[in-house]
Order: sequence, then structure tokens, then C-alpha cells
Amino acid sequence: MPYWNPYLETFPRERMVGIQLERFRQILAHAKSQSPFYRHRYADIDPRDIKTMEDVKRLPLIDKAALRKAQDDKEPFPFGDMLGVTPEEVTTFRQTSGTTGKPVYVPETVESWQWRVEVWCHILWMAGFRETDRVFVSFGYNVYVAFWEGHYAAEKVGCMVVPGGALDTRGRINKILEVKATGLLNTPTYGLHMAEEAEKMGLDPRDMGIQRMLCAGEPLPQATRRKLEDTWAAEVYDHIGGTEPCAWAAMCGQRNGLHIMEPFFLVEILDMETLSRDVEEGEIGVAVVTPLGRRSFPLVRFDTKDLVRKGRPGCTCGRTSMMIDEVVGRTDDLRKIRGVLFTPVSVEEVVRAEFPEIAEYEIVVSRDGIMDRITLKVEPKEEMGEVVMKDMVARLALRVKIKTNLTFIVEPVAPGGLPRYSLKAKRFRDLRDQGGGD
Amino acid sequence: MLPADWSVLRQIKDKIDGIEKLALELKTLGDGVPVIERNVRSILGFTHVLKFGISDMFENEDAQGGPE
Repeated sequence: MPYWNPYLETFPRERMVGIQLERFRQILAHAKSQSPFYRHRYADIDPRDIKTMEDVKRLPLIDKAALRKAQDDKEPFPFGDMLGVTPEEVTTFRQTSGTTGKPVYVPETVESWQWRVEVWCHILWMAGFRETDRVFVSFGYNVYVAFWEGHYAAEKVGCMVVPGGALDTRGRINKILEVKATGLLNTPTYGLHMAEEAEKMGLDPRDMGIQRMLCAGEPLPQATRRKLEDTWAAEVYDHIGGTEPCAWAAMCGQRNGLHIMEPFFLVEILDMETLSRDVEEGEIGVAVVTPLGRRSFPLVRFDTKDLVRKGRPGCTCGRTSMMIDEVVGRTDDLRKIRGVLFTPVSVEEVVRAEFPEIAEYEIVVSRDGIMDRITLKVEPKEEMGEVVMKDMVARLALRVKIKTNLTFIVEPVAPGGLPRYSLKAKRFRDLRDQGGGD
Repeated sequence: MLPADWSVLRQIKDKIDGIEKLALELKTLGDGVPVIERNVRSILGFTHVLKFGISDMFENEDAQGGPE
């Protein structure tokens, strides 16, 4: 069976929006009745009046800052005004990383957690995970949502799940070999790092028996996805989501864009400037997501700050859902440098597609007097001769200049000189507001 | 949607509703007994997912007069 839920995944497109609107009304009514945040915010709105997508668009967006404010120092601790159920119903929680401020605490009940796991069952099934797979989950199990849902969904799909927490990278590689794992769940960065470490151990990742890998946690440009596929001789799948809304789009076997998980979510892709207009197919916009079946932490029109390129509905796989062509980055990471709009993903695309000799990189923006300075630190896989290095630096500087319209100072770093990450990589640092110098 | 499965889908939907009804009856009978209450809560978590993924779709289609 190619579909996890054939009834839902092949549902006629023209009738999908009716179901989404009905569920939107239900979740809005629930939010208003249970959460002080929504009761106050939507005091003048009757959910029954939401009859069209235009009606939906009249509701204000919420973002992480609003969630923080609704939780800050408010009872019941730590969920505050966002809680959509009684505190006694909460059985677990996850929290955001807090990199842009105080963490947001996301409560889950048995029901809401099962709903999240179900979304992930769709994702894993689409990516070809089956009961014959042994799935190694490469992350430190903790308060971040990361691959928790993937773990439980893989169990529900029927895979044999191997929890890979509390091991260092070499320990994980040895465990993968020991259990003959066939599937991996990891961040793209960690997928590359494990391969690098395996090679240092005298292993060829292509021979380790991995058939498929599902990535999460970071944007996965096509260049990086293909590099992972080449490196591991495996099919590599992307998905997008977050702690607050859950995963909301993922790749099927075609690996050409991501399916929005309709009707679990109502996803709007809005223009970056005003966040009010639906972008056209092929245009980049900000994803605004409403999870439609999770009552513990109701989210209505959540501005994810994810930048995606809007696709079209339907796919040769037979699923009828709306697609996004690619994940472009995050509005958080968009920077104006010397007047040019820059996203770090554009550098990743060049490095991963054209410079296999580079193991790691880091972008640092600083201030040199009144001028912005952008440095690209690159770490080669192995020691390079002076001439080869000079040539690589010159080629890279030219390629990123063409790609971004910005001049980079390319600075080589000795092998092992840049940090490695098991969760979200931090390869971009903007020091301009901190006084500039690196 | 799979038109050929329409009658089967109706039966599936009825069974899901039946499971939920039985679980709620069991919860009432076992009121205050942790082993029953907590296991029923898990069953209802699964029926929520099944209703969301199947019953709601069926109901919507049925309201429209069935599949094309």
C-alpha cells in the first residue's frame, strides 16, 4: 500500500478546503472556550462566521513572541494562557530551543501526542519506512521535540526503533553497524558529520547498509540533500515543521517538493512584506500554519517565519495535497548586508554542490568601520597544499559572489577547526549589533 | 478518495464510533479505577486520530452525497 491513509491522501482537492474550514471553526471555538489568550484576542469573533478563506485572513497572526508573552509568569505554570486543556490532562511537554528568547513550553495530552505521532506516520510512510526497517534515531533525547515523534511514529509504523541517545558519534556508528540499521533520522549536518567520522574510522558510509534517511531541524537545500544521498548511497527525505505547530509538510518518494499535510493543517503562504496576500505558485512566501486537531496547545494562524516556495496541488505519487517546491530559509535569518538581501542557505547550496573538499563552513557578518564585512570560514576535509588551497579559495569567493551578489572574505581554517553539531547547526553569526569585530 | 471502498468506509466509520462509545462506557464503569481510566484515555487518543483521519472525511463526503 503506497499510502498510510489512502482515503485522506487522495481526497478530492476541491472539497479539501471545506473540511479545513470546518476544522478551523472547531479549533477556534475550542481555543476561545479554553484558552484565556484566545478568549481575549478573539473576543469579537464568532467562529461560526468563518466561512471562507477570506474570513480566515481577517484573524490576526500570532508568533513566537506572542506565545512567550501569553506564558510569561502566568498560571498554570509553565503554559499560562496558552493551555487548551486542564493541567491534569497534560502528560508531557516539549520546549523550543530559546535561541531567540525565552523558550516556549508546548503541552501535550495523550490525544494531542497521538495526533502528532500520526502526522509523523504519514511522513515516514511517504519516505518509504516500513516494518522491515531498523531505524536508528541519532539525537540526544531531551526536552526538544526533534525526533521524539519520529521515534514513536516509527514504532507505530512497525519499524524496529534503535534509540541513539547518550552515545558519541563513533558509538552511534558502531551501533548502526551492530544492529544493521537500514534507516536514519538525523539533522542534515549530523548526517554529514557521521559520514565524515565513519570515513575517519576507515568505513565507507555507502557500505553501511543505510537505505533511507529522514532529515529534520535545518533547511535542507537540494545540494545538501544530494550530497547526503551520494555520501550514504541512500534516499534522503526532507520535511518541515516546528515544536509549536508539529511537522506540517514532507517529501514523498518523488523527492521533488514537499506535500503539505492536509487536512491536519491549514497552511497559508503569504507575501513577506505584508503577510496578507497569498503568494502565487513559484513565489516565495512565509508559511502561516494552523494545526487543526491539537487541542492541548491551540495555534491559530501561527507565523512560522519559514520561507517556502509555493508549489501546485497534486503530484505524480497520486496524493492530492498542495505542495511546496522548496524550503528557502527563515525570515529570522534574512539579513540586509550592504543593501543586499541575504539568506545563508544560498551559501550552503554553493558549498555543498560544488566544493566536496569542504567539510564545514561558517558565515560571520561584522562591521568594519561603516562597512559590513562578511567572512566565510571554510574547513577542508583534509590538509591542502598552498596552491590547491589558494585556488579553492579563489573559486569559492567567485561562486558565492555570483550566487549572492556579495563579496566574501574566504578564510581557510585547519581541519577540525570548526564546531560540529548534533542538532541545529549555527553556521551563521551576525555580529553587527554587538560592536562588529569577530 | 477510493469510490470502490465506499461501503467499506461506512463500516469502518461505524466501527470507529463503536470503539469510542464502548471506551466511554468502560470509562464510566471503571470510574476511579486507574487501570481502566488510564487505558481508556489511551484508546480515546487513538480513536481521536482515526476519527480525524477517516470518519471526518467520510462524513464530509457523505454529506455531499458520496464519492463522485
